[in-house]
Amino acid sequence: MKAMKFNFIIKLIILLSLIATFSYAETVTVITKENAIREFPRFFAPVKALVKYNDILEVITKEGNWFKVKFKNNIGYIHKTAVERRTVLVRESSLSRKTSTTESEITLAGKGFNPQVEKAYKEKYPEMRYDIVDKVERYDVSDKELVSFIRAGGLSEPK
Amino acid sequence: MTKKLFLIAIILCLCSCKTVDIDKALDITLTTIQATETAARPISEEEEYYVGRAVAARIFSYYPLYENPQLTNYINSIGKVIALHSEKPFIFGGYHFALLNTDEINAFACPGGIVLISRGMLKLVKNEDELAAVIAHEIAHLNHRDGINSIKQARWTEALTIIGTKTAKQLGNEEVIKLVNIFEASVDDILKTLITNGYSRTQEYAADEKALQYLKKAGYNPHALIDVLQKLAKNTKSKSGLLSTHPDPLDRINNLKDKIPPFSLDLNAFKKRSARFNSYVKE
Repeated sequence: MKAMKFNFIIKLIILLSLIATFSYAETVTVITKENAIREFPRFFAPVKALVKYNDILEVITKEGNWFKVKFKNNIGYIHKTAVERRTVLVRESSLSRKTSTTESEITLAGKGFNPQVEKAYKEKYPEMRYDIVDKVERYDVSDKELVSFIRAGGLSEPK
Repeated sequence: MTKKLFLIAIILCLCSCKTVDIDKALDITLTTIQATETAARPISEEEEYYVGRAVAARIFSYYPLYENPQLTNYINSIGKVIALHSEKPFIFGGYHFALLNTDEINAFACPGGIVLISRGMLKLVKNEDELAAVIAHEIAHLNHRDGINSIKQARWTEALTIIGTKTAKQLGNEEVIKLVNIFEASVDDILKTLITNGYSRTQEYAADEKALQYLKKAGYNPHALIDVLQKLAKNTKSKSGLLSTHPDPLDRINNLKDKIPPFSLDLNAFKKRSARFNSYVKE
């Protein structure tokens, strides 16, 4: 009986130690070059904050295809396809808080076909028309223009 | 007794944690886990983007860009509306649509989000819904990753062995040279598929079927895809371009005939779309 009690107390101590040492805050990482946190879970809702690739956002809730997130004191919504869950562990204690794996994760994920490889490829083939590609990537349509385009053509607004 | 000793050992371990850098130990563990995941990972969306840029840069060395700001903005508006109704409204570099100054009837989806439509294709389609159908088909190829999947698996496996599990931020010169060669070969694989061999019949049919869904969701008439295919079938003069890389349009129509989703066409809205199409495209 004594042994059972002792066993239970030890297990409890271990469990409490682990809870005190670590706490998991759910986060998502931005996987597009740039994106926006919006006031409502809608594509054309007002923008509350701009985010960029690899920014880490704290998840508050998930509402359909949208995550309600917190980023630099801004709370708003981001579409699920603009972010991904990564195994980033947020260690929290009463004194300090830090994300620990981001840098190594970025290093590993970024070491493939990346800007470094593109630069070397461009140098090897200067005749490639990257200038036009850059121009095409600057083509953009604002939210306002797109909403008018949808309405004028009797199209459906994306949800 | 053994159990007690085991528990005492755990307590001692926990007590000794004071002197062990738990953070460092965890970092090492997590890095190892990530390195293992990286060693077998597929091509990421970011990598797809860089491959796609190279594919587009090569295509632009064959076909000149057609520059017409109003028309380009119009094509981008159609494309973005469809993309927002697709399963991937956001991709790493975003969707961008451009025109190629050639009479060849063609359209290309470069991996990573650049879609190129030839002026020949613009001449073939007769209204906005038909143009949207062409764009929807290309966006379906992007979302199915058909372009990037045409890279031979052996190349990517080789790339992964070079990328390895080193934690250095930058690759060494020798590694970069090797990776650039694989990158170049990967771009060649994709161009060969886009320009010479075409995708498989299965991939084309899947892109057609997905395009019907995008069109309906966006409010375009899905039947417009059949209309475009009929025009392609009639265009027997040109056997180059799209007709040389795609299955027979009549086979594609046959595949779609039972798959067209029910759609109630708002004639008034259709007329408005056709009017703006005429003002941008046919003027």
